[in-house]
Amino acid sequence: MTCWSARVRTRWRSGAVVAVAMMAWSAGASAQAPVAPQMKMDMADHRGALQGRVRDAAGAPVADLPVTAVNEENGAQYVVNTDAQGVYEFGALPTGKYSVSTASGGLTTFRRRGVEIAMDGKATLDITLDAASAAAAAEGERLELLQRIAALEQRISDLESTAVLSEPETRVRRVEVYVDENGQEYDEPVPGTRRSVTYRRERTYRRQTISEKIDEAMEEAARRSVSLGVDAAVAMQFAARNRGQLEANERAYALASADLFFTAGIAQNTLFFADIVGLSGSPPDAEIPTLTLINGYTARLVAQNELNLREAWLRTELFGNRLALTAGRLDLTNYFDANAFANDESTQFISDALVNNQMLGLAVNGTGVATEFDARNGIRLKFGLQQSKTEATNLSDSVFTLSEVGYTFTPFSLPEGTYRVWFRTDNTLPDALRKGFGFSFDQKVTPAIGLFARYGQAQVDLGLGAGVEYDKFVSFGVGFQKGLIFNPDDAWGVGFARMDLRTGERENLVEGYYNLQMTERLRMSFHLTGVLDTPEDGERFGYIFPGIRLQAAF
Amino acid sequence: MLTRYFRIVVAGGLGAAAVAAAAASLDAQGVKISDPTSVVMIVNRDSNDIAFMDIKTKKMVGSVFLGNNVNPHMVMMSPDGRYVVTGGTRANKAFIIDTKTLQLVKTIPTDIAPEHLAFSPDGRWYYQGNPDGDSISVIDMQSLSKIKTIPGLAEPLNVTFLPDGSKAYVGNYGAHWVGVIDVRRHELIKKIQIAEVPGVAKLDPDKYLGEIHGINIAAPSYDGRYLYAADGTLGVVGVIDPREDKVIKHIRVGKDPWRIYMSHDGRYGITPNNGDETISIIDLQSNTVAATLEAGPDMTGVNFAAGKAFVISSTSGFVYVYDMNRLKPAGRIKIGTNIQLETATTDPRDDKLYLAESTNHEVIIIDARTHEFERVRNVGLFPWGTHIMDSKDNYCH
Repeated sequence: MTCWSARVRTRWRSGAVVAVAMMAWSAGASAQAPVAPQMKMDMADHRGALQGRVRDAAGAPVADLPVTAVNEENGAQYVVNTDAQGVYEFGALPTGKYSVSTASGGLTTFRRRGVEIAMDGKATLDITLDAASAAAAAEGERLELLQRIAALEQRISDLESTAVLSEPETRVRRVEVYVDENGQEYDEPVPGTRRSVTYRRERTYRRQTISEKIDEAMEEAARRSVSLGVDAAVAMQFAARNRGQLEANERAYALASADLFFTAGIAQNTLFFADIVGLSGSPPDAEIPTLTLINGYTARLVAQNELNLREAWLRTELFGNRLALTAGRLDLTNYFDANAFANDESTQFISDALVNNQMLGLAVNGTGVATEFDARNGIRLKFGLQQSKTEATNLSDSVFTLSEVGYTFTPFSLPEGTYRVWFRTDNTLPDALRKGFGFSFDQKVTPAIGLFARYGQAQVDLGLGAGVEYDKFVSFGVGFQKGLIFNPDDAWGVGFARMDLRTGERENLVEGYYNLQMTERLRMSFHLTGVLDTPEDGERFGYIFPGIRLQAAF
Repeated sequence: MLTRYFRIVVAGGLGAAAVAAAAASLDAQGVKISDPTSVVMIVNRDSNDIAFMDIKTKKMVGSVFLGNNVNPHMVMMSPDGRYVVTGGTRANKAFIIDTKTLQLVKTIPTDIAPEHLAFSPDGRWYYQGNPDGDSISVIDMQSLSKIKTIPGLAEPLNVTFLPDGSKAYVGNYGAHWVGVIDVRRHELIKKIQIAEVPGVAKLDPDKYLGEIHGINIAAPSYDGRYLYAADGTLGVVGVIDPREDKVIKHIRVGKDPWRIYMSHDGRYGITPNNGDETISIIDLQSNTVAATLEAGPDMTGVNFAAGKAFVISSTSGFVYVYDMNRLKPAGRIKIGTNIQLETATTDPRDDKLYLAESTNHEVIIIDARTHEFERVRNVGLFPWGTHIMDSKDNYCH
């Protein structure tokens, strides 16, 4: 005996037991009064008869032909055969509408829908089997088939619409309630209650598709996790001397940089951010003593092949998100003088002179605070302070401060522009040298073309009795985006910078770049930088730096 | 003197009686809304109903339950104010409500997931977009029956009609083209490519072979000369000349523009760019970007009132305001924290905004001049959108 046959036998046995039990229950039920008789009476009282005669096209009776009556409401089917005279009779059909048909050789030869059987009535339907009745029957069947197709389509549609998650979801909501002295909670204000805030779970009745549900879960998981970002770049430059006698000539340089960013939302409107950077390679700035950095990445280079904590801060937004407060280890220059066209060595100009205002005068990152008040009407006020010397043993002795006022508007029917002035102090310097100030703007002249400029000066005392004098810096240029480009997200620009120190040192720098966005995460840019420096000893030197920067950010 | 007072009293009494009789008569006829312009319609996604709020009293007039798990998406009143219609996204049906009596008069099967909808200018045709069915159901408002399903679209969102009603334009969010429908025949007759995919697209399968953020709507300018279709993935607005059905200009805007919204004076259009959290203000005379200004995350709509633009930032709880004369920021309105703002409509006088806020099941009424707002609570579960007849800012997500 196989397992299968054993299972069948067991089923049969249990089925038989159930059948016997049902019969016993049924007998018991039918023996019960008075409900059962009433039910039986209802059924008996709602029946009627149908009779008729079937003839062929010549009028002769058709004997022994099955006649079928189908209840149109519930599909119950009844069949009787005609007698020798072609007579058929359904003696007791439940009342309702019936579809009456005959078939011969598999083909329907007659069909009549909507034959009414009334209670205690005796309906008559005589049938003539001719070509017309066969055609009408075929048409009836066709219509019935179409109806069935429509019903099936509707069922499929219903199935599709129900193939979604129908269980109500829950979500927790912050609600205001009113609590009396006995701790009774009310939804509406009641005398003697006080307002209180609580949290309550409620159900939502949106039907979500499975894909919606999965997307939502993934978004929620991402929102709760620490996210990691990477910004990796390699900048290769070639130095060709065109003036002066410096040793470095026709040499190639490369500097690779990788930043790892960690961000996490840790409270309402509060974000943690950390940037760990590692650099490796040799920039031209290691050999060529220009006043400003030819490769802006060099400013990040603390030690070769080592990871350094560049920034780690908490940022929170207060007063309706108008006031942003950032505290921790900062690069304060990131928050100030943020020129739209010349502010990022990873996507725009690579020369530091076209990334930062050289008169800001802050070379290192340190512990500090940055605040930004955005009035949301175009005006922005910023203030920040930061430790300016890493070797300082206290903050009081090494405070660098920056203040800025910015205004964004659309002047003279031009597109938007932002104009800003800043002021800085550094208490590690002698009193007379602590201050510097500057201004900058970025102004779109068309949606595709924008102008930018920076100016800054910083106090300097040469000790020659001339009093306080100023080192000066100026840069300006033009940027192109969303037009005059190969690909939609490409950008390019040309800029000039001049540094003029009271010691007599000067530098003129010009750079052009084209940043090609290859994918959302990959960019390649081409740079050509020219620099002409006049050092303190008056031995001028000049270089041309063609270069390529490859950057991946994701 | 007494006689005079008597006459006044009698006349007053008769007047009051007449008003009461008229009101009683209306009530006896089951009339709940006598003036279709007097109410704000609110789509309640989770309580599966359309609620009606009186604009003057700010009281709920009534609501129409559509059925369990219907999840209505967008509501609109027919141009004659006789019917209110909505698509039940999870019921695959369109629902037609009698405005006066607030009775559900017809339920019509559509294709899968009906969401956005539009009426032809003469009110005869109700086009119901079915984004998951890639089709539009054409409903005849005379017979209140579906007469056709127009296939061949790609996640159709919004439909707009030309003022003469001859053609309809369909934004396909799952593609980069706008469908042109011959309204006489209810047939898709053209596909207008809004912009070409850039040559570097093949290097970036993550972006271009991932989810398409195509075209939400081809929005007509108020003078009817052009239609403006923003393409999210490509970051452009295509300007369509409906006489020739071709794009005459591409306007590059910010990243991932959601759609364009037209200022009521016809001077500007605004695209909220969710990819870089900016708005691009487009000068409709020169068809150039007049300004790109900072905005917020997850923007769902733009309303215009009192010479300003109000940009709804769904998840931040803020409405960003912009001065449309000076094209500069004009502050923000903080509605709340940890809430979700949906979409809003503006009253026809451009005085107030009616903003759906789904977390607390309320509608926020914002005074466009003062930026003060008040809350109307318990309008239904998860209010998803609002609509006022004759408003110029009737839109959906």
